[in-house]
Amino acid sequence: MYIDHFLHTPSIRFAWQYAKSQLRTKYRYTALGFLWNFLEPALYLVILSLVFSVVNRMNINDYAVFLFSALVPWRYFEKVVNTILESIVNGEWLIKKMYVSPFAFPLNRLIISSFEFLFSMISAFILFIFLKENWSIHLIVLPISIIPWAFLAAGIGLIGAVLYTFFRDVKPLVQLLLTLTFFTSPILFKPDIFETGTIQQQLMQLHPFTYLAALFQKPIYMASWPTANEWIISFGFGIAALILGIYLVNKYKSKFYYYL
Amino acid sequence: MKNTTVFKLQNISVEFEKHSLNQRSLREAIGSRLKGNRSEKTKALNNISLTIKKGDHIGIIGRNGAGKSTLLKVLTKVIFPTNGNIIRDETQHVIPLLELGIGFQADLSGRENCYLSGILMGYSKKEISDKMNDIIAFSELEEFIDEPVKNYSSGMYARLAFAIATDINPQVLIVDEVFGVGDEFFMRKCIIRMQKLMAKGVTTIFVAHNLDFLVTQCERLIWLEKGEVMMDGNPAELASAYRNSKSSLRLVNVQ
Repeated sequence: MYIDHFLHTPSIRFAWQYAKSQLRTKYRYTALGFLWNFLEPALYLVILSLVFSVVNRMNINDYAVFLFSALVPWRYFEKVVNTILESIVNGEWLIKKMYVSPFAFPLNRLIISSFEFLFSMISAFILFIFLKENWSIHLIVLPISIIPWAFLAAGIGLIGAVLYTFFRDVKPLVQLLLTLTFFTSPILFKPDIFETGTIQQQLMQLHPFTYLAALFQKPIYMASWPTANEWIISFGFGIAALILGIYLVNKYKSKFYYYL
Repeated sequence: MKNTTVFKLQNISVEFEKHSLNQRSLREAIGSRLKGNRSEKTKALNNISLTIKKGDHIGIIGRNGAGKSTLLKVLTKVIFPTNGNIIRDETQHVIPLLELGIGFQADLSGRENCYLSGILMGYSKKEISDKMNDIIAFSELEEFIDEPVKNYSSGMYARLAFAIATDINPQVLIVDEVFGVGDEFFMRKCIIRMQKLMAKGVTTIFVAHNLDFLVTQCERLIWLEKGEVMMDGNPAELASAYRNSKSSLRLVNVQ
């Protein structure tokens, strides 16, 4: 039963085919069409870095590279959590009429967001051509760096999707937690603004996103490899969340119909 | 081959909570838990046991709210029953036609929707593209197949949806009152196609309000009433019993 629902081939095919057609139709009626996939994140990043470099009085080029390196995966994380959270309830039009695996819509959202992440990453690298000086071999780990982010996001998204199916008021709560996580994590500010030994510095050591962000900040901004610790902690959180998410969906899937 | 079981339902019940609308928020859920409120439940299906064999042609009748559509949704795995056990022959390709054009996306073309809808029915892309010409021919959409389906008339929409469901390789067809959509010509075309499939040995389960249609097409009728099986058997006998019950109801109303 477990395997049957998780690897239901037609549902995987559907998630993929539906994602392709959604990506294709998203900008179908706009003049710039497909280019918007790159322009939209690029404009966002430029505006944000302009604002924050003024507020922080930092060297804009340097700060922009630092900021983009972890902000692009964070935007992906947030998008995946938010869209998977709603995916089962929003899939009502199909789920109530025809059998699809309860993972079909979450997987569909993950695929779409992953493509959007890829486009944003490409936009960021186009900006880096103008901003960044220290290009290094370390960039080759980035395709692996995104994996724990994807696992963690999908896992939290699935946990949220189960809760949201039964309790529609969890959405603002999740939103709040995401905002809190973002502003306490070293994505907007560099972790070295706190001196060693201070409480803030020690709290940062407990923040999962300190480790996840490092997987991008180190190769892109510092031109170095992430440490073994950072890999292990990031993958640990990711895998744990994903397993919990899959477990919860499987446990409650038989009740979804009655609450959609 | 003929006597293999496709579906075996054992004591299936489906219960819906009457006030589940209110319980969709955390606040309400905690509140009612604290107060100890138990919501009322209605039984859409009540302790149903049935066996459906390969090649069977079954009609399901009953008044609105008798549980016909719920039963079909249990057969197609959309609803997990609250109680009971269901055994399926997983090798059989079950095609649900509970509504024409489930999964159609308004912005996509007819062709793109064929793929999406076909994939949902469990076919591979290759199986669909191999049959694409037949689907287009049956649905008579030659010039329009690459237009978005939102520009289709309801007849075009229904023809396409019916063609996808029946053209590829269905082994079990579960049909819920869908022939009423198109015009007379379309209806006849659908019925001819259904008869061909039935002659080929496709297992079919119909829900329809047209009793004459069911009596002529099916070898077995099932009469549902308030979620329970009232009668199960020979179409002619069952149809007259069903008609009598309806006319006696009418008499009561008149008095």
